[in-house]
Amino acid sequence: MFATFRRFRRAFGLLRAHRGAVFLGALGIPVSAALTLWMPALVADGVGVVQEIGAAGGEAAGRGEGLARLTWIVLTLAGVALAEALAKYLARERLVTASRYVETRLKDDLMAHLVRLPAAWFDRARTGDLISRLTQDVELVRFVVGPALLHGGLALLIVPGGFVRMAQISVPMALVTLACSAAMLGAMAVLMPRIGRMSRLVQEAIGAISQRAAEDFAGVRVLMNFARTDAQAGTMRTLGEEYLQRNLRLTRFRAAIDLFVHTFRNLVVVGVVVLGAAAATRSSLGASDLLEFVLLMQAMVWPLISMGWILATFHRAVAAAERIEEVFETPPEPSGGARPVLRGQVTVQDLTFRYPGQEHPALAGVSFALEPGAKLGLVGPVGSGKSTLLALLLRLYDPPAGTVRVDGHDVLDLDPAVLRATFALAPQDPFLFSDTIAGNVRFGVSATEAAAGDDLEVLAAVEASALDRDLEQIQGGLEAVVGERGITLSGGQKQRVSLARALAANRAALVLDDTLSAVDYSTETTILDRLRRARRGRTMIVASHRLTAVEDSDLILVLDQGRVVERGTHRELVQRGGWYAEMWRRQQEHQALEGGGES
Amino acid sequence: MVEFRGYQEEALGTALDLTHLRRLWPFVRPYRAGFLVAIGILAVSFAVELAGPYVLRLTLDGPVADAVAGRSVDRATIWWLGAAYLAVTLLGAGLGYAYALVTTWCGQRVIRDVRSRLFEHVLGLGPRFFETNPAGKLVTRVTSDVENLNELIATGVLQSLFDLLKIVGILAALFWIDPVLALYTLAVTPVVVGISLLFRRFARDAYRRVRTRLARQNAFTAEAVGGMRTTRVFLQEDAVRGHYHELNRATQGAWIDTVVSFSLFFSVMDFVLRASQAGILWFGGQHLLEGTLSVGAFGQFWLLYNKLTDPIRELGEKYNVLQSAFSSSERIFQILDRPPDLRLPAAPRPTAKGPAALRFEHVWFAYREGMPVLQDIDLAIAQGQVVAVVGPTGAGKTTLLSLLSRLRDPDSGRVLLDGVDLRDLDLTALRRRIAVVQQDVFLFTGTVLDNVRLFDPAIPEAKAEAALRAVGAWEFVQRLPDGLHAKVEERGATFSQGERQLLSFARAIAHDPDVLILDEATANIDTASEARIQEGLRVLLQGRTSLVVAHRLSTVQRADRIVVLQRGRIVEDGDHASLLARGGLYARMLHRVG
Repeated sequence: MFATFRRFRRAFGLLRAHRGAVFLGALGIPVSAALTLWMPALVADGVGVVQEIGAAGGEAAGRGEGLARLTWIVLTLAGVALAEALAKYLARERLVTASRYVETRLKDDLMAHLVRLPAAWFDRARTGDLISRLTQDVELVRFVVGPALLHGGLALLIVPGGFVRMAQISVPMALVTLACSAAMLGAMAVLMPRIGRMSRLVQEAIGAISQRAAEDFAGVRVLMNFARTDAQAGTMRTLGEEYLQRNLRLTRFRAAIDLFVHTFRNLVVVGVVVLGAAAATRSSLGASDLLEFVLLMQAMVWPLISMGWILATFHRAVAAAERIEEVFETPPEPSGGARPVLRGQVTVQDLTFRYPGQEHPALAGVSFALEPGAKLGLVGPVGSGKSTLLALLLRLYDPPAGTVRVDGHDVLDLDPAVLRATFALAPQDPFLFSDTIAGNVRFGVSATEAAAGDDLEVLAAVEASALDRDLEQIQGGLEAVVGERGITLSGGQKQRVSLARALAANRAALVLDDTLSAVDYSTETTILDRLRRARRGRTMIVASHRLTAVEDSDLILVLDQGRVVERGTHRELVQRGGWYAEMWRRQQEHQALEGGGES
Repeated sequence: MVEFRGYQEEALGTALDLTHLRRLWPFVRPYRAGFLVAIGILAVSFAVELAGPYVLRLTLDGPVADAVAGRSVDRATIWWLGAAYLAVTLLGAGLGYAYALVTTWCGQRVIRDVRSRLFEHVLGLGPRFFETNPAGKLVTRVTSDVENLNELIATGVLQSLFDLLKIVGILAALFWIDPVLALYTLAVTPVVVGISLLFRRFARDAYRRVRTRLARQNAFTAEAVGGMRTTRVFLQEDAVRGHYHELNRATQGAWIDTVVSFSLFFSVMDFVLRASQAGILWFGGQHLLEGTLSVGAFGQFWLLYNKLTDPIRELGEKYNVLQSAFSSSERIFQILDRPPDLRLPAAPRPTAKGPAALRFEHVWFAYREGMPVLQDIDLAIAQGQVVAVVGPTGAGKTTLLSLLSRLRDPDSGRVLLDGVDLRDLDLTALRRRIAVVQQDVFLFTGTVLDNVRLFDPAIPEAKAEAALRAVGAWEFVQRLPDGLHAKVEERGATFSQGERQLLSFARAIAHDPDVLILDEATANIDTASEARIQEGLRVLLQGRTSLVVAHRLSTVQRADRIVVLQRGRIVEDGDHASLLARGGLYARMLHRVG
């Protein structure tokens, strides 16, 4: 038990900052529990008083005295109810609020840690899984340091206390109640995990429906073209049927829990009726005692249910805490190192690089040198290592020592932040935030620059990326919100926003990773023209499938399976008649048939 | 610098409108028997619920009173009463169980039917609908919106009616037991309910704030995690962390409001309820003293009063649930009310497999009025002819192809297959004769086999394999871990562009079309695949009437005929040699390639 509680050490540690609130809240628990258990006795007393007088014959004097006692009891009851409400308010408000503070801190700490983790770590981490750690898992841990303390504390006092009082009234009746309660808890312990499993299955089923729908809607043209829409509707009916069946199964379990709770709760009353009536015939056990008993049972039902609920949730919370710790235990990217001002001179010397766990090297024996202000072109088939080379320059992965140097410094000796402040990367598959277009373009502009400067830089970047023409078509222009992951923009537009972002960041070197793959030829030509002007002496490294993008490079490397297979200028490579020349011919053909330059 | 302005609060929809129920009736109708059973169960369980307190009253006034008064007690009566209460308990529990099952049984079936119908309808709508409605939005319609309807059908309307019935019934019973005490209850209940609803509303508003803020925070969480690389590259770690912190704080503020409101709500509710009970004890106690009320009747009254508050409170809460269900239903029917873009023939003309001839007859088409994309296209394609279409970007090539499989219909003019207007043919039969290979190949999650035969079990595995072999795709499919049954990830992420293209060729071959429509892939294909694609293309075009938007010189040269499109018009028509000789647009286009 203590071992499992240790998993929550971080959360309880954060809770310590709110120990005043926790102390006050914890104080409310026993007070509230005691008052809760007192109230049934008061009601029963009231009824008892009345009954006593009735039994005594009920003359006027007795009635007057009875009324006075009744009034007193009723007033006490109201007072106790008020005090109980206050105590419970205090307990609930203080403890749950504290747990919300802990939750916020935990999430903040997690995010602060995540942004410091090495970029490579995110290749292996699944986005959905990380999100669920940041949301559901934190919520489960919060449950332990807040609601579980509150309801668990109340239940641990009210349930045993209630039984003690019941036993004082009648031991056999108390035993019946104990047995019923145990049975109810047992039923919950058995059913709750199953319900958990069943609802996951139901979630999976709706997930399957949602995925099928998302794909079929996205690929609807294919389905239409091949007359498969009716058949896919049939598939959806099958999925719907599966969902229905799982839902029915889940309902059976849920309803079963209700069934048990309802039954056991009322079986106690049956027991009280039979045993109580029987006992009443033998002893002094009166109606008021029976009433108190039933009211006690009512007061104990909720604490009992919450006990079952906490027990069922607890083991899930332990797993959640473990998953959260796993993230915290991952070491962050090493920072520190030299922070010189770099101009973007790159020397790569016999670079061989393997991704962790991969047998084949992604890059093998790559060497080249690039002067500041020069342009390097990287071409080659998919998977030839172009993107890897770029990632190493920004130290998104660590290259072997001494193989990659920027301005003479081994990148391993530099603070990664310095490299990223030197190279601005525009990837092929850009990530846009659901912000305005301007906000996305401005993403790499530091806060101080943004505060000092104007939007000229942004506008220039937008122009150079040939976004200006698109912006006229988009309602709201630069201030249009692009939707989650830029959903409202076309692939080419997203790439150009990403290019503008890289330009606006105003780094010494511009790194384009097949940034214009989804842009049509004529727009590409415009962009390349404008880039030549907007570049202003910046070093450029361009990886591309389209050779027109690298045509004017000072050096072009053709990569294949991580090796440099051809190198030279455009003119040299075309003359050589290798891969580059063949590709060039094909692309020219394609461009011609697209009517390049002819519209 | 980042501001992340994408997260705006979402506005909430419509008011209560009972016409929705009428619209849902056709879906509910098939299961009306089940719903009637549910209503029956509700009625019986209400009677059972009233019976419990009555048995307790008989016990207290019978054997217990006798015992207290020192009279002899009839043992059999005790057992009978015990048995009666036991019966009431078990019956009540059983009915509750049955009710849950029956309503889920019916409700979920209605849900399933609405979903299937909606999905089918959406897939039947034309491409125009999908251009204006992003897939993500439509997914929400068939998932959560349909789910919301359940509230309307199973729990909403039925339960609310029952709650109303319960309130009336319990009040009647209270008046029957003790009219004066009932009058007191009648006076107090609105206060209890009013206070409860008031606090409930605070809590609900706070909770709604939580939901919107949490949704914003979670959306940003997804972005922050998904875009971590971008963040690192642009050194925006602090901005992302800071923005997350702000959102986190905002959510925390909303949460704490709910904690305060809920704590207040529970405490005030508890107190008000107990205070009103204390009042019943005080008034009822006097009636007991006066002898106008028995202890048993008092106990019965007490228990019934406790049962009164729940339905009233639930009735108040149902309103919101119903409101959200109504807006979902409105969104669903908005889609269902939209007629399909294509008008289907009432009596389709038959069409048989075999060599096909195509004809465009003075076809005009515009996406936006006044801006024709195709102008007076007149083109006859003989059986087995391969026609290459070339022309500058935006000349209308892709639009021209989309008319053949009736993704769109011409604004004027006709498209004919074997001399019959496409609009007079059965759509499925038409599309069975045509295969379309798009430039941008869409692969579905599933297996290679699924993608080749598009989930159609009527195409045997051997045929799919033969198709893959024919286009030269078998070589790489064979090397996959499970070959034909290898998994295809979302959008075919694990396949190169060339491989995807080959798979789409195989898909077309496996469907054995008479007409092939092909939008040739761009040149960004690795050299190894390129050779195979050339070969695959040759097999694909063999003996089929084909219309190809060509991006390769070899394809154009192989074509029987080349049609040059410019600004929506056919400007040149002929074979490669004659067009070159003519020295027009085609010749100028190819000038650079030489």
